[in-house]
Amino acid sequence: MTELTRMIATKAVSPVEVVRAHLDRIAALDQGLRSFITVCADAAMDAARTAEAAVVAGRPVGPLHGVPYALKDLYDTAGVRTTGGSRIFADRVPAADATVVRRLAEAGAIVLGKLNMVEFAYGPEGLNPHYGHARNPWDAATHRMAGGSSSGSGVAVAAGLTPGALGSDTGGSIRIPASLCGITGLKPTYGRVSRAGVLPLAWSMDHVGPMTRTVADSALMLGAIAGYDPADPSTSVLPVPNYLAALTGNLKGLRVGLLRSFFLDGAAPVVRAAVEAAAATLAGAGAVVDEVTLERVDLAGAGSLAVVGAEALAYHAELLRTRAAEYDPDVARRLRVSAFISGLHYVRAQQVRALVRDEVDAALARRDVLLAPSTPIVAPAVGERQATLGDGPVDVRSALLRFTRPFNFSGHPACAVPCGFTEGGLPIGMQLVGRPFDEATVLRAADAFQRLTDFHTRRPVV
Amino acid sequence: MTNDRIDLDTLRRGAQLAGFAWSDTELEEIRPQVEAALRMLRTLETVDVGGAEPTTHYRTV
Repeated sequence: MTELTRMIATKAVSPVEVVRAHLDRIAALDQGLRSFITVCADAAMDAARTAEAAVVAGRPVGPLHGVPYALKDLYDTAGVRTTGGSRIFADRVPAADATVVRRLAEAGAIVLGKLNMVEFAYGPEGLNPHYGHARNPWDAATHRMAGGSSSGSGVAVAAGLTPGALGSDTGGSIRIPASLCGITGLKPTYGRVSRAGVLPLAWSMDHVGPMTRTVADSALMLGAIAGYDPADPSTSVLPVPNYLAALTGNLKGLRVGLLRSFFLDGAAPVVRAAVEAAAATLAGAGAVVDEVTLERVDLAGAGSLAVVGAEALAYHAELLRTRAAEYDPDVARRLRVSAFISGLHYVRAQQVRALVRDEVDAALARRDVLLAPSTPIVAPAVGERQATLGDGPVDVRSALLRFTRPFNFSGHPACAVPCGFTEGGLPIGMQLVGRPFDEATVLRAADAFQRLTDFHTRRPVV
Repeated sequence: MTNDRIDLDTLRRGAQLAGFAWSDTELEEIRPQVEAALRMLRTLETVDVGGAEPTTHYRTV
């Protein structure tokens, strides 16, 4: 996106050419990939022509002028249906844009369409029986999970159907598909980006963020969407820094805490080796790497279950009473289970949340970022329910969420980037976690890693 | 609901208290997941939370 922005501004390429090329690619490939629910071809071409005219006329343009992107289908888009990945909302057409959609439009970005996702964002595998299971583009022979819940965002970016996308992350829904699809995904600090006009899964755990090929592209998108929004009272009034300017490539003296216990120790050997190699790469460029343990992080699983379950059921209660048969049966089951979470569980989880948050804060008091795998496993095949780790078989769903949800629970910013590939060619992801509202340092570290490696430049054959 | 095993009557009462009229078949279907969830949630009760006040999200400014 950063490159397209430069090329459009210098008239090296026209927004019309860029948008048409992406629409052609979607038309050619998405029947098999199932990454889009709705393609906005006509509106995108109209916007591209308007953008082109502005460039030709020499009018002032925004930081993403003429650059296309796509959105997970839970962002409200005025006049364009927003399904939440559900049949129940198949004909739901919002009257207004979500705040972040409006901000990206003001920056000049052009919407290509709305992306596939797990129904109501409730699941990490990336499956959707209503609109088709998005296909991970890294394995042509086997239908592998894209990861979720922002499955379409992961696939569309990895396959080059869009240069960038918006995802949302309640337990890892940006970072899990980023990890499984070999792209970059940023979950900002809770309160950094507005959730107004975004269908909720769990209000206190939902985070909005970009999914792109490079960290620089995520920095560009974050700069356009971050900042206080009166329509979302949880947003911070802290000023939004220039994230692109923070990408200096300098790692000298950066203090990196490598999370071994629970994280590296709980990952598949191939994932562990890739993240250890990444730590060595960072250290080789001047970062100071030590190991750190978060003693209470294993409580995030139970805590998230209580918080996400209770909040999700509160949102869905009426629909579950009246239209249960239209839900994905798997999602309906999980919502029903949540009826047995008590008020005591919910409040105790929020108390535990304070402890986990304080522990992550303490680890970051003497370090700039923490480093961990994004997921303990690489993309499983669709239908695979168990994966094998060191201690034996583990449930795929729990495994996918294990390393990401602690930082939804704590609210800290985390950026997932590719850090290796298996012998079979499947991507491996790692995440860098930073201090609250210090996305600039997280992005600087992640970008510097990408300057030292080429994992983010590799493309699947589709 | 402190034992691992939850009987159907308990499930019925729980659903009813939450305002849902689910059939016995629907309740039987979720029984293993409810039992697993409650086992997991019980770990929260073992944590010494001291005087920690519940927080719903990160301190925002």
